[in-house]
Amino acid sequence: MLSLEARYSLTRFGAKSLLPAAIVFSVIHETGPIITGLVVSGRVGAGIGAELASMKVTEQIDAIEASAVNPYRLLAATRILACILMLPLLTLAADCCGLVMGWITQFMVEPVSLHQFINAGFSGADFNDFLPPTFKTAVFGLIIGLIACFQGMRTQGGAAGVGRAATSSVVLSSLFVILADVVLVKLIILFFP
Amino acid sequence: MDTIEQIATDPAEAEQGGAPVIAVEDLHKSFGSQHVLDGISLAVKRGETLAVLGRSGTGKSVLLRLIIGLETPDSGSVRIHGQAIAGLALDQLGEIRKKMGFLFQHAALYDSLTVEQNVAFPLQHHKKNMPKSEKADRVRQLLAEVGMEDALAKMPSDISGGMQKRVGLARALALEPDILLLDEPTAGLDPISAAEIDDLVLKLQQEHHMASIVVTHDLHSAKTIANRLALLNRGKVVIEGDFEELQKSDIEFVKEFLKHS
Ligand SMILES: Nc1ncnc2c1ncn2[C@@H]1O[C@H](COP(=O)(O)OP(=O)(O)OP(=O)(O)O)[C@@H](O)[C@H]1O
Ligand SMILES: [Mg+2]
Repeated sequence: MLSLEARYSLTRFGAKSLLPAAIVFSVIHETGPIITGLVVSGRVGAGIGAELASMKVTEQIDAIEASAVNPYRLLAATRILACILMLPLLTLAADCCGLVMGWITQFMVEPVSLHQFINAGFSGADFNDFLPPTFKTAVFGLIIGLIACFQGMRTQGGAAGVGRAATSSVVLSSLFVILADVVLVKLIILFFP
Repeated sequence: MDTIEQIATDPAEAEQGGAPVIAVEDLHKSFGSQHVLDGISLAVKRGETLAVLGRSGTGKSVLLRLIIGLETPDSGSVRIHGQAIAGLALDQLGEIRKKMGFLFQHAALYDSLTVEQNVAFPLQHHKKNMPKSEKADRVRQLLAEVGMEDALAKMPSDISGGMQKRVGLARALALEPDILLLDEPTAGLDPISAAEIDDLVLKLQQEHHMASIVVTHDLHSAKTIANRLALLNRGKVVIEGDFEELQKSDIEFVKEFLKHS
């Protein structure tokens, strides 16, 4: 979709040959990471939020505490770590999908092999285009994990509370992922010009 | 009311049987505008079982949660082995909690773990040096004590409420605590299982000299297992004493309560 629109405007300015680069650039820099962040906020954020919330309202978290085990270390730390590790990997997968989709839309208008497309796209790109945006998603993972665990573990009030925890995990983590993205993009531009 | 609190904290009595293991003093707790506990004082010594009775919603479960530090009181203090638990760091509180077995009113089993893993949970985290086979033996033995050795591999959602309660009790006993806090251990159990649990609590009290607080609605069970009974109403201890003392009391609420039990 993005590539079709971009194609239209780029063609108008006579810069059609830049299109693969533009697609690669936008997918790797921004679309891949942020879409991964938002999708994971929705799925994993809600999952962790609801799971911990239901443990909280059924007193399982209290039971962990009563057994002299730190529930934050036992439940939250592992989940947050998993989020941090998984997000960059998922972003890679999303990047690949994004690029293939970009190629397919491109292919529909003008036959070009995937190989050619990738070659053209990556010709002007280096590791600085690729690594920082991918690894910034680890911060998204941290945000999603923290917010979902926090919302889950401080839940009160039965099944309704579980629902609220899941919703607020998604809403807050999506919001903070977008906010963090703004800050991180600024930082990346600053440190990896 | 005053005299009861004096009995509970009477220094002479405390000297006689050793200092109280659990000492609760003038505990207040409210949720929002609802004043749940309004000055509760209780003391339990080694080898002693206190049954806490009272109508639904008087704050019996809240009292137990305050004692193990899952809730913080608005005012008043809880002392375990003489140590006030308010303001303790989490690991210090943990050391105290390892000596306390807690049975939740709704069992609160970990629903992603099997019955066996539930009972093994405290061992896994606090007896890291114990060999695996010894842990497994201990779990089996604990489950046998509550009559649940056949449900080892079942998930908590696949056993009845009464069975969950018994597994919860086995889990509470896993670390050989010297304090037991049981929230309605026999609620929802058939008379035979209930009597077995009563026997177990009695045995623990007599052989291992545990100090226990047992919340119960079952006056018969309270009579069997408890040295003393405390009746709560509207956030206060209405009366505390042995069963005869309760029967002799001419406080209206006590008479009413006994009449209907
Ligand atoms: N976390 C909480 N937030 C708000 N109110 C609470 C909370 N926990 C307990 N309460 C209130 O405190 C009161 C006492 O609750 P508690 O569970 O201790 O009663 P109980 O004596 O154990 O009753 P039952 O015999 O039915 O178990 C209830 O009115 C309950 O609504
Ligand atoms: Mg209760």
